Amino acid sequence: MSTTRLPPHPAHVINHEQTLTFSFAGERIQARAGDTIASALYAAGRRTFSRSFKYHRPRGLLCGAGQCPNCLMNVDGTPSVRACTEPVRQGMRVRPQNAWPSLKHDLLSIIDRFDWLLPIGFYYKTFIRPRFFWPLAEKFLRRAAGLGELNTQAEPKGGYDHEYRHTDVTVVGGGPAGLTAAYEAARLGCQVTLIDDQPELGGHLRFQTGTYANIGEQSGLTGFALARSLRERVTAQPNIDVLSSATVFGGYEGGLLGVMQAKRLIHLRTQRVIIATGSHEYPAVFANNDLPGVMLGSGVRRLLYLYGVQPGTRAVVVCHDDTGWRLADELLNAGIRVAAVVDSRYRLPDAPDSGEQLQRSGVEVLTSYAIQAARGTNHVEGALVVPLDAQRNPFPHASRFIPCDLICLSTDRTPTAALVAQSGGEFGYDETLGQTVPQQLPPQVFCAGDVTGIHHLPATLVQGRLAGLRAAHSLRASETSASSHIQTLQHECETLEQEYRQHYEPYPQLSHAWTGKKQFVCVCEDITHKDLAQGVAEGFDEVETLKRYSTFSMGPCQGRMCAASSARICARYAGAELATRTTTARPPVTPVPLGVLAGRKHQPEKHTPLHQRHIALGAEMMLLGSWKRPYAYTTPGEEHKAVRERVGLIDVSTLGKLEVKGKDAARLLDKVYTHTFSTLRVGRIRYGVMCDDSGIIIDDGTVSRLADDHFFLTTTTGNVEFVEQWLKWWTAGTDLCAHVTNMTGGLAAMNIAGPQARQVFSQLTDTDLSSEAFPYMACRRATVAGAPALLLRIGFVGETGWEIHVPAECGEQVWDAIMAAGAGFQMVPFGVGAQRILRLEKKHVIVGQDTDALSNPLEADLEWVVKFNKDDFIGKRGLQSIQERGPRHKLVGFALRDSGMAEGGQAVVVNGQPAGRVASAAFSPTAGKCVGLAWVPVEVAGGTHPFQIRINGTDAQADIIDDAFYDPQGERLRS
Amino acid sequence: MSFLLACPNCGERSVYEFRSGGEFRQRPPASVSSHEWARYLYLRQNEAGETTEWWYHQLGCRSWFLAVRDTRTNLVKETYEHD
Repeated sequence: MSTTRLPPHPAHVINHEQTLTFSFAGERIQARAGDTIASALYAAGRRTFSRSFKYHRPRGLLCGAGQCPNCLMNVDGTPSVRACTEPVRQGMRVRPQNAWPSLKHDLLSIIDRFDWLLPIGFYYKTFIRPRFFWPLAEKFLRRAAGLGELNTQAEPKGGYDHEYRHTDVTVVGGGPAGLTAAYEAARLGCQVTLIDDQPELGGHLRFQTGTYANIGEQSGLTGFALARSLRERVTAQPNIDVLSSATVFGGYEGGLLGVMQAKRLIHLRTQRVIIATGSHEYPAVFANNDLPGVMLGSGVRRLLYLYGVQPGTRAVVVCHDDTGWRLADELLNAGIRVAAVVDSRYRLPDAPDSGEQLQRSGVEVLTSYAIQAARGTNHVEGALVVPLDAQRNPFPHASRFIPCDLICLSTDRTPTAALVAQSGGEFGYDETLGQTVPQQLPPQVFCAGDVTGIHHLPATLVQGRLAGLRAAHSLRASETSASSHIQTLQHECETLEQEYRQHYEPYPQLSHAWTGKKQFVCVCEDITHKDLAQGVAEGFDEVETLKRYSTFSMGPCQGRMCAASSARICARYAGAELATRTTTARPPVTPVPLGVLAGRKHQPEKHTPLHQRHIALGAEMMLLGSWKRPYAYTTPGEEHKAVRERVGLIDVSTLGKLEVKGKDAARLLDKVYTHTFSTLRVGRIRYGVMCDDSGIIIDDGTVSRLADDHFFLTTTTGNVEFVEQWLKWWTAGTDLCAHVTNMTGGLAAMNIAGPQARQVFSQLTDTDLSSEAFPYMACRRATVAGAPALLLRIGFVGETGWEIHVPAECGEQVWDAIMAAGAGFQMVPFGVGAQRILRLEKKHVIVGQDTDALSNPLEADLEWVVKFNKDDFIGKRGLQSIQERGPRHKLVGFALRDSGMAEGGQAVVVNGQPAGRVASAAFSPTAGKCVGLAWVPVEVAGGTHPFQIRINGTDAQADIIDDAFYDPQGERLRS
Repeated sequence: MSFLLACPNCGERSVYEFRSGGEFRQRPPASVSSHEWARYLYLRQNEAGETTEWWYHQLGCRSWFLAVRDTRTNLVKETYEHD
């Protein structure tokens, strides 16, 4: 069964001169440049392209257009690639999937004989008992059924990207309707984006070699010449962007279209969308209709006229309109014998275009006939056809056998209309056309071409012009005097559609559930006519429930091959009035790799203005939230010792920094903090906690008053965006005059701390740093190492110290100056590791680490910042209720009695039961043991009740420490 | 969810630039009953229809405004700054 290439033809997309080779299941296959994997394999004589999902039946090329599941293969490690649309690349490695040991001889094809074991819904009915059997069965099923194997070891390939675009009019589909619509809209001045899923514009015209009449000036052109002419007109138009080989996989709100172009996801915002996605053929339901050699007419055309491959040697064409006659003609032109044209029409129109040639060539034309079965083992060997009576019923005893090796089906087509539904369009069942077609469209959506159910080129071209005109007119009515033009076209369109409908006769549905061999409805999931009839009999008589029960339309083709037939079959057994229902087509319309959705691999991280200094010092860096911070330069222990005994310097630029200005700034702060700030004197600092209205802590930080109407706030690292919008939220819609500015990125901040901090720091500023002039919790503006600075005398780590805020661009200069000044005092830079120990020794809470979404200040050991005696503030009412109810648990300081290390998240154990948790813990060099903060029940918080901490399954005795572990009176802070 | 919102300062932008602040409602005075207060804290109208709600233009001008949105269709009828 070797197939030869056809002689070159101007419609071919392959280069007959240039050959490529690739491997298929270990064999070398020759291809021509421009081939798809499938066309090259077909030319090499391959007929079986896959094994079916359930029964492992051989499957051959069916649609040849990326619509069906029959040619899914593993290409260079990527599973489930459609071989009929994937171009051949030199040296690519292609493997079949779901077949063992080979496509030709698949051992699991034995399942086909045991189909009685696998009735519809078998997985709900079987494998129930014995229970131990299920895991074994599952293992087998996973191997037996599937869509290829994913290589979980593979390195991510990358190269994915996202793009954002805006346009006036988007035309989806690059066939005759889309090309005409795009040109029309562009001609009227709109910015048009034309999206087509094929490598070249032209749609089905690209592989039509017959000529067309009644299409105006272009009458008499062959299909592919017409395609070229329409294409040239569009590409010459400067305001049309063409996206080829791109798929619109979903329509979303706000005119957003999801477009996939290779590894790129394009977010396209469009004002108007013209849907010209066309229609596609799907197989009629008859016995053995999945046999390799049964192919859709459009698939045969593609092989013939895109890739120059001879699809067979002796063909039977099954059709219900002139499309089939044209196909027979084209087969003859390509030198292929046509055994018969089987036309279901009872009465032929006066003069089918191609009748003459068929007669001349001695092709038998069987009118009022339909196909009953395909015959053959592993490949078509003949077709069984049957005559029909006037009521479209078959005479089964009069059926005839016609030997052939190719059955071309031009029997049924359905609009490719998923996008219409996703754009808000409504569908209805059209009796005349036997199809579900778009009927109601929202004002920004237009349809043209086969998607309307009319498969007639003269109508398509007028529909395209009309849609383009309407879309443009609706956007810029004033610029076009198009109303009358629209009316004329509208009229022309209706006349053409009317004509088409008069002669239209849908292909009859003949199949009977209980006779003959398997009649497939859904080729993805191996669902037969009998399965669906059985499903309806079992009570799943609505198409949506039948879908869920039988899994039809849930495979890789997403219902393209089966949605229409199954809706019809469901209606037939359940009652005809349901004929209008089809299943919902949600996005994505085509499979979208997760990589495309994920896009470029980004892990943004923020660097402080001092980042390069830390790198130069060889610091061990860690990611905290989105900030990169030094964990330690030497070891946290050594750095801790230096701060306690001498002096240290830490980069605290990651602190959130906000300025609040305005005559009501103080009133705003009184409202959002639990503390009072209107009484704060200029030049002083106060610690504050923010709660939400239920009394839950949302942030804390220091508030410095720089002037009557000017405050400087610090917030928890990573929370500043939240606090900024929180402050603005409580300002919006009130009479408060206050402005919030986020200064976080604009300022570098560092904290110099330690008993010798003053000696070091005084070298760099003229400001009097003595405790009399610059006491604890005071703030001053100063010049530090030549840079304008804001100094806050606070002590997160519990030593004499200053937080120094300078413009970001001065950060390195100030850091260098302080480091130089500290050299004589053996000052060290310290990191987050040491800071964690230092602050724990002072029992300073970190919001978000020691507190969570249920923590309030009354229980978090922060009662002292809640001023119930001031006017209403955010959280007051909630905190009052908590106060009335009484605290239930408390955040307390603890120390382990013996050696051992606790860590955050471990359980607090009281009387052998878990009763709380450790918030943070660290080894304190000062205390000589592990200290930390923990949430404990309020009975335990009193300090008399013993409790333990469960460390790796062992309970370690812990004691509550009321005061800070270090300098409980704060003398060192104030000195 | 991919609708467009017209920020009164910046114009029409994708909803992804905004942070939703939920339904517009008045904060009751502290004197109301616990029942009322609990309603304010925990209950929402959750209207199937036109709702006035707060939006914050996080990736833009960073200010709050009000929008009238139909929760069934996500069509935004108008947006304005609270005065």
